[in-house]
Parts: sequence; C-alpha cells; structure tokens
Amino acid sequence: MAVDDPGRSYSHPLFDTLERFPGLDLATTTADKLLNWGARNSLWIFPMATSCCGIEFMASAASRVDFDRMGSFTRATPRQADVMVVAGTITVKMAPRVKRLWDQMPEPKWCVAMGSCAISGDFYRDIYSVIPGIDTVIPVDVYVPGCPPNPEALMAGLLVLQEKIALKTAGLKTVPAGRPETAKMISPRIKRVGHPDRMPEIDAAQCAQAMSLDLTEPPDLLAAFTAAQAAAKAAREAAEAAAADAAAADEKGGEA
Amino acid sequence: MTADERQARLAAFMTERFGVEADPWPDGGPIVPVEQHVALAAALQAELGYTLYVYCVASHWPDETPKGGDLIPEHYEVATGLRSVGAGSHVAMWRVSVPVGAGVPTLADLFAGADWQEREQYDLVGVVFDDHPDLRRLMLPEEWVGHPLRKDYAIETGHLPWR
Amino acid sequence: MAVKANIDSGRWGDPYLDLSTYTADADLMELNMGPQHPSTHGVFRVVLWLDGETIVKAVPHPGYLHRGVEKLCEKLTYVQITPIVDKNDYVAPMLNEQAVNMAVEQLMGIEVPRRARWLRTLLAELQRVASHLLWLGTFGIDLGGALGGGTSLFMYCFRERELIMDLFEGLTGSRFHYNTHTVGGNRHDVPAGWAEQVKQVLTFIERHIDEYVAVLDHPIFEQRTMNVGVIDAELALGLGLTGPVLRASGVDHDLRRDAPYHAYDEIDFKVPIAHGGDCYARYEVRVAEMRESIRMARDLIDGLPEGPLVGARPIKTPVQVKIKSGQAYVALETPRGELGTYVIAGGDNRNASPYRFKIRPPSLHSVSALPWVLPGHQVSDVVAILGSLDPIMGEVDR
Repeated sequence: MAVDDPGRSYSHPLFDTLERFPGLDLATTTADKLLNWGARNSLWIFPMATSCCGIEFMASAASRVDFDRMGSFTRATPRQADVMVVAGTITVKMAPRVKRLWDQMPEPKWCVAMGSCAISGDFYRDIYSVIPGIDTVIPVDVYVPGCPPNPEALMAGLLVLQEKIALKTAGLKTVPAGRPETAKMISPRIKRVGHPDRMPEIDAAQCAQAMSLDLTEPPDLLAAFTAAQAAAKAAREAAEAAAADAAAADEKGGEA
Repeated sequence: MTADERQARLAAFMTERFGVEADPWPDGGPIVPVEQHVALAAALQAELGYTLYVYCVASHWPDETPKGGDLIPEHYEVATGLRSVGAGSHVAMWRVSVPVGAGVPTLADLFAGADWQEREQYDLVGVVFDDHPDLRRLMLPEEWVGHPLRKDYAIETGHLPWR
Repeated sequence: MAVKANIDSGRWGDPYLDLSTYTADADLMELNMGPQHPSTHGVFRVVLWLDGETIVKAVPHPGYLHRGVEKLCEKLTYVQITPIVDKNDYVAPMLNEQAVNMAVEQLMGIEVPRRARWLRTLLAELQRVASHLLWLGTFGIDLGGALGGGTSLFMYCFRERELIMDLFEGLTGSRFHYNTHTVGGNRHDVPAGWAEQVKQVLTFIERHIDEYVAVLDHPIFEQRTMNVGVIDAELALGLGLTGPVLRASGVDHDLRRDAPYHAYDEIDFKVPIAHGGDCYARYEVRVAEMRESIRMARDLIDGLPEGPLVGARPIKTPVQVKIKSGQAYVALETPRGELGTYVIAGGDNRNASPYRFKIRPPSLHSVSALPWVLPGHQVSDVVAILGSLDPIMGEVDR
C-alpha cells in the first residue's frame, strides 16, 4: 500500500503470515491484538533531529524523562525504526533526504512532528530555504507543539501515538467530520509534494519524478516548470489582449 | 598595549602607509581602494600582529539618490576584520567598495579561514572574489538561482518542488 | 602565500587536492558521511576520499540547516531579533541574546546598569557550564565503546545539565529559548531563593566533574584523542578559530580577559590553556573551563549588586529602538569562541530594523578546519575530531 495513500490504515506485515498458518485463522482477532500490543509498546525511534528540538529530544532520552521505560529507544538507522521524530527545521536542501529516509523505514511506520518548525515552519515559514511544515513532504501522525516542546510534552506525544495505534487509526489523515473550518485550519497551506493543487503546471509523470527523488534531474523539472509558467503567462496575456481588443471594438461600435 | 593605543597606532599606520583618511575613525572602518585590499591585510598580519581572521561581511547597495545629492550607483561593500590576540585584543576593520560585476581580490592566500567566509558571502550576497581557489556555493544547493541577501531578492522566493 | 607554502610543505592537509592527478597506494574510495549521521551533531555532511583507510581529501558540505536568519532579521525590528537569535546557537542561547543586544546598545550609546551586567555575566557562566556538559556527554557517545557502552557519561552529564535548565526556568520561565535580555538591560529579576539554589547546584556539579574525569581517565580514551586532529597555532589563527579550540592550540587569548565586557573586568579568573592542539587538549581546556566557570559563578552570585535591571529610560516598545546610521562589530566569548554581531543600521521600518545583520559564528570557523585537519587520519578519527570541535549546526548554517 502506498505510503501517501490517505486511506492507509495500520496493518502489520506479520499478520498476513500468521493468517496463513493452519488453525490460526480462527484466532486472527487475538493475533491482531497481540501484534498491536507488541507494536505500540516497542516504538523504536529514528530521530530526524536537525536543530534545537534535537537537544530536547536528547534530554527526553536522557536521565530525567527517559522514554526507554515505555519501550521506546533511539535507533540511528531508519531500517530498524518504527517512528520518525522530526525534531527541528527542515530546509529545502534537507527535505529530499528526509523523504528518502522515510521511504527506507519499513512498514508499519509513524511520524511525530516535534516543535513548531516541523509543524508549520514557525517564524521561518516564509523564508526562501525553509519547508513550511514537514507534513508537506511526509504524512504526520502526531503533532507536538512547543518551541521546543518540553521532554514531558514529547513523552505525552508518544503516549498519544500509542493510543492511536491501539485504536488502529494511526496513518489515517482524519479530518473532523462536519467541521470544515477546522479542517481548513489544520491542513498545510502548501500542499504535499505531488499534490495537483500545489503544482498545477507539472503533470503526473513529472510529479512522480519529483517523488522518486532522482536527484540528478531537478534542472529538467525546473525548466519544465518555468516553460509551463511562461506558456501560461503568454496565454493569459493573449486572452487579456483579446479582451482589450474586444472592448475597444465594442467602444468603437458604440461610437459609430 | 591597550586597545586604545592599538587603535591610535592602526589609524596612524593606515594614514601613513596607505594614504587612507582614518582620522576621525569611521564606523566599520575606513574605505580602502580595492587594489590595496590584499596589501593592507598582509601588512597588518606581518607587521602589526593582527593574525586572527575574524569576519568578512558583504552588503548590497542598490541605486540610490540621496536628497539633494547625486546618484550613488549600485555597488557591493565588503568589510573585513582582523584581530590581534592576547592582552588588549583589538579588531582592525576596513571596507572596500566595488561596483556590481567587479571582483574583490581574495584573502585566501593569507588566511585559511577566508576560504569559507568568502564562499559564504558569494553564495548569499553575490560578490565575486577574484583568484579564489574554490568559489562554490556554501549554504544553498548548487542549483539555486539568485543570491538571497541581495536587496532585490524577495524573502518568500520558492524553490520547487520542495517549497 | 603563507597558506600555500604550508600546504606544499605537508604541514597542513590540502583541501584543494586534485584527485585526478593523485596516485593512490590502495583503492581510492569516496565515502559520504551525513547529512543524517548520529555523530555529526546535527545535519552536516562530509565527503571523504580514502586511500585504503587513510583520508586524502575531505570536502564538508554545510547548509542543511540554512534558515535565512540574516535575511529575516532585516525585516524585523531590533527588539524582535532577540528571540530569533536564540535559535542559532541552541546550546548557549543566553550568549546569543547578549551578543545582539550588546551590538544595539553600542550603536545607540546605551549604558547598562551594573546589576544587569553582573546578572548577564552570571547567566553567561552558567550557560557555559551547561554547554560544556552537553559537549562532554555527546563526546562520550561519539567515542562510544571506550566509555562503557558510551551512553553512561551522556546520562550523567544530562542529569547535571537539567539542574541548570531548572535554574534558567526558575528565572525566565523557559527551559530553552529565554528571551530574557533586552536592549539596555534584563527582563527578569532574580526570584526569591534562587541564589541559594544556584549555589547548591554549583556544588553538586563541581563534585561530579571529578567523577567524569575519572571515567575518562582510560587508555582507550587517551589513544583515541591524543595526537588526533592536531591544529597548530598558525592554522588556528588563520582559520579564525576561537574559544577552547584556539586555547587548546596554545594561544593565550580570551575575549573575557583581553577585551572585557559585562562585569569581567571586575572579577578575578584564570584562562586555562593547553599546548597539544589535539582532541585531548580541547577536552582538557573545556573541563578546566567548566571548573573555572563554576568558581566565577559562585563569586558572581555572592557579589550581585543591588539596583535596577534596566537603564534610566527603560526601553519598552520596539519603536523606541531606532538607529539612523552607523556600523558596529561587537564580539563576546561563547562556549565555542568569539560570537560577533555586525550590524549596519538604517534599514526598513523607518530605521527600526538593521540594513544588514551578520552573525560571525564561531562554529562555522571550527568546521572549516576539517578539510585542513582530516587528511592523514583514519575514518574513525573523523568522529572524534568533529566532536572535539563542538560545532552547533544552527550556528554554522544560520
């Protein structure tokens, strides 16, 4: 199942194996419960720690707060981790690397956006080199606000994630039903990479190219984008000129 | 030697050897002709003991016409600072001014640290440093277009596909 | 001229080595470290070219955390800049605030009251202890196996660091980004009972520093740090290295003593130096500095003078801070070295913003030492050398 599928729900890969095991198909509910229990109580964290929040992340792992005691501990490689904690500002130069590391993490996986920079870009939001929130690049399950959040706040965020997994809703980008204004508020202003709203000038193939992280290709993409923009501008200008001509002709006709 | 004595000695040295108007001492240091930039740095390093490389700050000044004055054409200003170490530490600062398109001679032959500082200023402000051994972008990706700290660069400029 | 002669004589590593003409003894291999690597202290990337196991060329790539702070500051008023620069050197935010406010005070010609100067000095010294503790803990992780699994020293150091964080939280209400300094003085006065708490914490930390030194008194630690990453005094000065890294190279230079600011000319302290120039010397200097800072902090809290915390005309609103023209460079000594602020006044918002705002980060200069130092070392030394330089990426990239 695709990572960015908005309807993605949590299913453990071991589940399929267990289901095929003779006799166990009767006990799938129990097996599911067991796997779910195991997954949520051993959330291994891959710290995508870039800036200030990384220091508070370290403080959470250190002696006072110590999230080891709920079965979470830090792994330095994405291939051994379940949760990516994005702690800190993500820049244009870093974003492709974050995406690549996220793609390397095995399913099931979750993402925690720690701190205002990872949530929305904070006061760096409008700056040329900063991504306005990590949720424009990868899907986020839990947001932990703060600048930086206290270690206790990160701990609370991880507990919320455990609850989400227990309820099997993690990975669902749930929009509160019946409250469109809330939905508008929490959805990122800049859509995810590849979203047609974000880049109307780029067709699906080029979006796929951007998502595939072929890092040798960006100039092509940029050139295509610039050409598409220029064409759109020319078309717009032509339409405006035609409208102006028509208006002038109307005026003339009125005079006559 | 105290910092004040060093300052007086520096002003006298600059006036005498480089013919620069350094009294009274302007904020940010006197403006030195571009041709004397490297010679001044070398003299300060070798003769007056300003051996610690401190900063290189470039700034962009677009066309401007002050009230009742003539047009000041677009130019870059590059400020450099060297420090003397030990008691009474003092910063020798001076500036050079170049029109857009012209280069500033590099100090990378005298100070190893000038390499990265000048690369950073080239990346962000756009000043070119002549004879620099390795003038590439330092902070921004290689394919970036424009120099963000120029006054004509909008802060919100996007960079596809990530922003 | 001098730089080229030193490269040619083989005294310094060659950052400009042309690999197409290089003949390798073993296979020439390109190895990429970072930008996501647990020991790069943030997001930093080094590309290494290896001849067998030996590094022949290192090309660092900073900029993965470039947040455009200098451009942002051109849009903000001087008072709004203080909380922004907190996030640059996020291990010592107190000193970042002081640096920018000192620059504005110098441009406006504002006198800071004596109590505020003493309080700033005290906060700076406490922050120095906290910063060096964090460095010691992460350096322990970097050198890993030598120290009993690596994380034990980290756990100890963070226990002590949390105590200092608590002190700052008691004073300013925030654990991390304090925003307690303002143009012309400080915002938060010392709460009741705080001085006593400071003294208790200092005594606790001082007692435990001896334990860390005992943990690190270990042959593996010494082998991994002694004669590794030697920076001689000439290279250090030319690169603009400052702080503990410069003092470990045998240069007796400290802005606190040599160009005093705040209350440093009123108190008595020693500046520790070492002569090795290697990773071990840098460790020695930092530990000695921690002890000295604790002693200074004790003197400062005892001698904290009475009086107001802001000037006669307190600055309360951003519009009051306006500077028509002028340029200033103001520097102070952070745990990593000389943090300078270069301000060219007279920008937007009717002179309430700077025209150009440049931060002179000590970490950027430290990191720029890598291509000169790494050639000739093994891959495992990279981690030790990078760790011993104590770079903070928020400050390198800004």
